[in-house]
Amino acid sequence: MDPRAELLQGTLDLLILKTLALGPLHGWGISKRIRQLSSEVLRVGQGSLYPALYRLEDRGWIDAEWGVSPEGRKAKFYRLTADGRKQLSAETEQWNVFTLAVNHVLRAT
Amino acid sequence: MRWLARLRRRARLLFARSAVEREMDDEMQFHLQMETEELSRFGAPPDEAPRLAKRRFGGVARYQDEARDARGGRWLEELRQDIRYAVRVLGHGRGFVAVSLLTLALGVGTNTAIFSVVRGVLLRDLPYADPERLVSVYSVIRGNRAAVSPPDFMDWRAQSRSFSGLAAYFLSTTNLTSDGEPERLTQARVSANFFDVLGIQPALGRGFRAGEDILGAPRVVVLSDGLWRRRFGADRSIIGRTITLDDYPTTVIGIASPQLRFPLGVDLWLTTRFDERDLAAKARGARWIDVVGRLAPDATLSGATAEMNAIAARLAQLDPRHNAAVGTRIITLQHDLVGDVRRPLLVLLGAVGLVMLIACVNVASLSLARTAARGSELAVRVALGASRSRLTRQILTESVVLALGGGLAGTLLAFVATRALVAYASADLPLMNAVRMDGVVLVFALSLTMASGLVFGIVPALHGAGRGISDRLRTASTRGASLGIGAGRLRQSLVVVEVALAIALLAGAGLLARSFLRLTSVDPGFRADRVATFSFTLSPVRYPNGARQALFAQELISRLTHVPGVRSAGISFALPLTNSAFGFTFAIGGRPETSGPDEPRAQVRVATPDYFRTMGIPLVRGRGFTAQDNLGSPPVLLISQEAARRYWPNEDPIGQTVKTGWGSEGRLFGGTIVGVVGDVRQYSLAMSPQPEIYSPLAQWPLDELSVVMQTAGSPASLLPAARDVVRQLDPTLAVYDAQPMSDLVRASVAQRRFYASLLGAFAALALVLAAIGIYGVIAYSVQQRRRELGIRIALGAAPRLVMALVLRQGLLLTLMGSALGLLGASALTRVLEGQLFGVASLDPVTFAIVPAVLLVVALAACVVPVRRALAVDPATAIRAES
Repeated sequence: MDPRAELLQGTLDLLILKTLALGPLHGWGISKRIRQLSSEVLRVGQGSLYPALYRLEDRGWIDAEWGVSPEGRKAKFYRLTADGRKQLSAETEQWNVFTLAVNHVLRAT
Repeated sequence: MRWLARLRRRARLLFARSAVEREMDDEMQFHLQMETEELSRFGAPPDEAPRLAKRRFGGVARYQDEARDARGGRWLEELRQDIRYAVRVLGHGRGFVAVSLLTLALGVGTNTAIFSVVRGVLLRDLPYADPERLVSVYSVIRGNRAAVSPPDFMDWRAQSRSFSGLAAYFLSTTNLTSDGEPERLTQARVSANFFDVLGIQPALGRGFRAGEDILGAPRVVVLSDGLWRRRFGADRSIIGRTITLDDYPTTVIGIASPQLRFPLGVDLWLTTRFDERDLAAKARGARWIDVVGRLAPDATLSGATAEMNAIAARLAQLDPRHNAAVGTRIITLQHDLVGDVRRPLLVLLGAVGLVMLIACVNVASLSLARTAARGSELAVRVALGASRSRLTRQILTESVVLALGGGLAGTLLAFVATRALVAYASADLPLMNAVRMDGVVLVFALSLTMASGLVFGIVPALHGAGRGISDRLRTASTRGASLGIGAGRLRQSLVVVEVALAIALLAGAGLLARSFLRLTSVDPGFRADRVATFSFTLSPVRYPNGARQALFAQELISRLTHVPGVRSAGISFALPLTNSAFGFTFAIGGRPETSGPDEPRAQVRVATPDYFRTMGIPLVRGRGFTAQDNLGSPPVLLISQEAARRYWPNEDPIGQTVKTGWGSEGRLFGGTIVGVVGDVRQYSLAMSPQPEIYSPLAQWPLDELSVVMQTAGSPASLLPAARDVVRQLDPTLAVYDAQPMSDLVRASVAQRRFYASLLGAFAALALVLAAIGIYGVIAYSVQQRRRELGIRIALGAAPRLVMALVLRQGLLLTLMGSALGLLGASALTRVLEGQLFGVASLDPVTFAIVPAVLLVVALAACVVPVRRALAVDPATAIRAES
């Protein structure tokens, strides 16, 4: 896997976890909220959300359950688990250290 | 909890894959629909919106595939596919599957059955507290195990620090005469701390208290669970009641826990009551009790051994006459209990292990041929993009599926076989009672099955999916799209290995069988056919002295000889092959007394005049006993030929006198030798005759006696009449071990027969499997060479030549396997040495017969392939394949 994709993937995981920290959502809802919260700057390729969701579920960070959407349709809702919450705070901290370092380097030049 | 959820998802993937897939589909469709609606809301034209949504989403199929990888357990899905495919493929090769399943079932079945025996007998923990700290302590005289004398035991107990307890015990018999029919029971006399040392208290009532093993203490008894249920109907109120044992009133104080089976076969436990004679200084040489101990918490086996050696050295100094050459040894109780059966059982386990290997080799060889026949199919799969690892996995999966089928059948077989083994052997191998199939045995069967699947699957898997597989597609037009010469060679080497393993097993079985034949044809020194026997023990209350015992014996004999069908009758103490005599040292009149290892020793026998005639023991010199040799006449003795040879090598023993230190009622055993009788194998058929000294029963009465009767007709049919005679004389006397003498002889070799016949059965199995292997390879090779054979026949090759061509291949493989097998056997049969009799472990006869047998079997296995080769029609064979 090329490093760019890996970076993207890691970031996507973080974004999903953060989004779900606010409450359970279905896949489309997650993609929409990421777009909204990032003021449409971050545009995730919508389909690539799903492999990420399945992977997070397999790791036990999120849970999935079928429910009914506000529009009255059957939809699969994702929810953060206790492990996922821990993972989120760990990854957030990592991200902060990372951006701080990058910013530091950028400011130095 | 996380793994539980994951497990649930994996299980769903495995068993409800289509539902999982549908949900993934639904989820993505829902997303597209929501996106489409959103786009419409923001003004996208209705016909454009779905297209736009799809573009924003990306390739559905691609993300679904990525999601499949991401959700994990992909290998499980593939495994499921492989298994389905394997079942389908196996369904097409009925003959192959049938032979493989049968082979594997026999392998797994025999292995599991023998393992369950080994586990039940060798590996089961004793049901006592901390069983690994329980030890047997015994005396050793010149390297041989000996029992312990009571004075030694008392000194051990007083001087040792390594044990938290040492308990004495010995087995004897007793007559129960209250509560119904008189019955002879096996009793263990034990020191009062016996139950404490074992760490198992009676299930009901109490165990013995300190002091209850002292002469004069009230008589108390603990009943075995079996006796309590059988004889007293599991009546709990029996505790505190009095029963009559050997005419002594004895109080029941406890019922043993059902787990307590020590010593083996015991009905009740009473306390030892050593008297001053047992404990006297001169009784130090009378070794007749056994000792069990529990190591102290801080003691080790080696520490205890060192301490006991020091004590033995002190005792040797204290009493050199009796203890100069006497050491001690300590072994764990577990080891002691399984001592004699350990080696033979492990040999059997090794033998079935070889059978399993042969079975695996056989199936590997068959699979290889099948993989070869499927060469073009595999090549097509490679061409279509299957990876080598995937193909290997696929072939391995087929093997494991096959193995599981065989394993299942084998486990069922093992259930039946284990029961049959226990039923067949438990009378002679009492430890077999604990044998049963349990979870551990089933796990063993499953592991064996999986291992065998991998073992016989790995060869064809690596070969089938090996390099050069794509070449096969190109050569597929020639016959069979085979794996070519490589696979053929491999199969031939497998058959060589198989033949070698079978040879090794056959050699082992042959040695045991020859030993058994030698043993059963050995002259025991007495005649067993048409002789009936039974035993009884006279109660010390009703027959308090020798005169009364002698009177009863005399009366019994005279009445028995009047029973129609009885030709003669005699009584003796300790029948041959029952291992119940005792030995003593003696001095010869007119010679200086010797002591230590050179002191003459012999076994004591007591017999009535007609005992020798009835048993067919010849009088070699001098005279036999007569009715005039009684308590009122000078004591006379008969000695065996071995005793004469050993102690009177150059002189006539008749007229010489013998005296011993052993006696009762104020007399010492001894007398004047009046005759020499033939040697008898008293201990076992395998043990050469030992020196014996006989005294007339009338002059040396004993309470534990056996009757022998020579009969005109079948000995068994006379036993009821004999019982009636005993009942008329003394209705309280229990008769036991009533049987034809020939049964006794047969029982004495039952263990050997058991091992020899099992090993023989396994060897036969190996032979059949090897024959199948040879047949498979030769038949396959004939099929491969049809064209060549056709051309040869067309060119005028004589049938003799064609036959030779096929046979040569089969014989070559067999000869190579035989050579290899004999080499292996010469190393392996050494483990049998202790179980052989009259046959060397490299017995040339066995080592010559075994390959000959295999050669004949190999020839037989070639018959059908040869016929097929001869029946090849040149015209069709040449035309068919090119």
